[in-house]
Amino acid sequence: MKRKMWAVLTTLAVFFACLVTFNLSATPAKAETTYTIGTDVTFPPFEFANKQNKYVGIDMDLIRAIAKNQRFKVKIKPVGFNAAVQSVQSGQLDGVIAGMSITKEREATFDFSKPYFTSGVVMAVAKNSKITKLSQLKGKKVAVKTGTSGADYANSIKNKYGFKVVTFDDSNNMYEDVMTGNSAACFEDSPVMRYGIKQGTKLKIVTKPAENGSYGFAVEKGHNQKLLKSFNKGLANLKANGQYKKITEKYLGKDASKDTDSTSDNSFFGLIKQNKSALWSGFKETLWLTVVSIIFATIFGVLVGLMGVFPNKFLNGLSTTLIYIFRGLPLLVLALFIYTGIPSLTGQKIPAFVAGIITLMFNEGAYIAAFVKGGINAVDTGQMEAARSLGLPFGRAMRKVILPQGIRIMVPSFINQFIITLKDTSILSIIGILELTQTGKIIIARNLQGFKVWTIIAIIYLVVITLLTWLSNWVQKRSKL
Amino acid sequence: MSTRLKVTDLVKTYGDNEVLKGINLEVQNNEVVVIIGPSGSGKSTLLRTLNKLEAPTSGSIVIDGYDIADPKTDINKVRENIGMVFQHFNLFNNMTVGENIMLAPTELKKSDKTAAEKQAKQLLATVGLEEKFDARVQSLSGGQEQRVAIARALAMNPDIMLFDEPTSALDPEMVGDVLEVMKTLAKQGMTMVVVTHEMGFAKEVADRVIFVDDGNIQEQGTPEEIFDHPKHPRLQDFLNKVLNV
Ligand SMILES: Nc1ncnc2c1ncn2[C@@H]1O[C@H](COP(=O)(O)OP(=O)(O)O)[C@@H](O)[C@H]1O
Ligand SMILES: [Mg+2]
Repeated sequence: MKRKMWAVLTTLAVFFACLVTFNLSATPAKAETTYTIGTDVTFPPFEFANKQNKYVGIDMDLIRAIAKNQRFKVKIKPVGFNAAVQSVQSGQLDGVIAGMSITKEREATFDFSKPYFTSGVVMAVAKNSKITKLSQLKGKKVAVKTGTSGADYANSIKNKYGFKVVTFDDSNNMYEDVMTGNSAACFEDSPVMRYGIKQGTKLKIVTKPAENGSYGFAVEKGHNQKLLKSFNKGLANLKANGQYKKITEKYLGKDASKDTDSTSDNSFFGLIKQNKSALWSGFKETLWLTVVSIIFATIFGVLVGLMGVFPNKFLNGLSTTLIYIFRGLPLLVLALFIYTGIPSLTGQKIPAFVAGIITLMFNEGAYIAAFVKGGINAVDTGQMEAARSLGLPFGRAMRKVILPQGIRIMVPSFINQFIITLKDTSILSIIGILELTQTGKIIIARNLQGFKVWTIIAIIYLVVITLLTWLSNWVQKRSKL
Repeated sequence: MSTRLKVTDLVKTYGDNEVLKGINLEVQNNEVVVIIGPSGSGKSTLLRTLNKLEAPTSGSIVIDGYDIADPKTDINKVRENIGMVFQHFNLFNNMTVGENIMLAPTELKKSDKTAAEKQAKQLLATVGLEEKFDARVQSLSGGQEQRVAIARALAMNPDIMLFDEPTSALDPEMVGDVLEVMKTLAKQGMTMVVVTHEMGFAKEVADRVIFVDDGNIQEQGTPEEIFDHPKHPRLQDFLNKVLNV
């Protein structure tokens, strides 16, 4: 009897234990939130794409390890430092981890985690440079990267030492400027500089770290507090269990292994072969962006152009205004406004690709509208009068008589605009769309082969534009326009 | 005789420029009215207000009972009954001769394709260009273009035809062919309002000649009254200039 009781109790206990365990493991899994985290395109050793095009580096490994530790999911968006920071402010992204120094200024708009890394600014010069001291920079140019503490530092001492600051958007261009001798030196966080030199950048560090600062993970002030708490807790756990040390040593420790890239084939064909898949997908994204935005821009442009010739003062005015605004705005400003500005007004996120299409639709569409209007106006007014005098309504006269003649005038402008659109997609790299130019930036961030990679990218653009020109000439001939 | 067209106190201004200063005019059925006057006097403007290519500033224009100054009038319907021939022909450059003539009848559902084609060929025959049905507009001479333009204007079977200096842009040797077509039309009883400098045509064909100067009708009458016994000094002056070139 007693034994039987035990058996029943044990079974029940096991059953409940199973249930509890099941629940414990199931519930958090279900509740796992996904956070979208922005980071820089290239800031080795904190973030950079490896040869498999996966983002790695101290920041990346850290945020993934913390996510695993704290049971949440992360989606990494390498949109570039400035775009990431702005997107967090506008709520497009949940947080940013991008070697971001904690400053008083930034604390006004962001909530920072506990510092996860301490760094300092060093000065680096070309291998053969004689410069070793700040005082030798008088009258020379100094390269910095926008928004870095190196840039802040340079700006704070430029008057004292009498040098001029040149600002770049990514590290490779900054290094390149110093290596070519355009700039005498650059200022950069010491781990970044050390890693870059290990990767074969032909620079040397000549000063001790100054202006020690701390890197923090940031969220929009007053938002995503749960994420911030998880980060701090996870960071503490990783520091305690030794994982933190392992991660930093992997990229900075004495035995930091060289990225295999520096020993790999850096010839043109070698570079093409290694980056085949990245280039191919960047190329496809560029084509896709071009085709979709040309379609939308044409629809928008033709509508606005027709509004401009319709016998209605209000529509004419609207058309002129739209053309004026969207032709007047620089594409870059329009892209950033739509991607980061609109969401902060409406609270509605816009995917980068969609923002890119909208940008091109408005910008290219405004140019199309202008030449649609011009093409129609170039048709002799007698044609419209003759058609109207026969009793044809405005729309019918437009479609049957004016447009066929106007389109003939517009065709060369259309072809020209398609080619411009293709080229303009490269500007959308600013909002992190992985098209051809952005792909180039990322490849260069890893292998620092700026000249060769940009040559490859330039050739791809030229080939596509040549093909596009041939195609449109062929279509033009075939349709006897 | 019934009234086809009645213009009352018609004023047209462009900005500060008063081009028509209160025109009163009636055109009877089957009547051929020729308008003469110095260049810039408002002849084209008057003609173009008749089918509302220019909207009148004030006054009324009643055609076959429709007041075309009234915004409620379907101007497209009224225009179907008024053919217009321009100084510069204005043939549709994106179409062949035949397509030019068939456009309005087919688009406005007056007739189907085959009927329109038959009619177009007939009209081309009456203007002496039956072989040009498939020709491109660009291959025609000015005189041929203008005759095609007349055929096109006739395709909707209008009751009134307006001509704005139809021969002014033509080389002298082509003028005769076009005037011949217009004379035939007049003989067939078409109601016509013709702005022209062809005084011979006016003398021969016009039922009434109207002298317009400075935005007003200064004098009107039969060809004999106007050409042989002009009263208004400005008309005398004008005739002196055009007849003694
Ligand atoms: N669309 C217009 N806008 C402004 N002024 C016009 C317009 N059309 C004609 N005019 C003016 O009206 C006057 C009469 O022109 P028009 O009727 O063409 O004269 P005509 O045919 O007798 O030579 C001219 O002074 C001309 O400049
Ligand atoms: Mg005139």
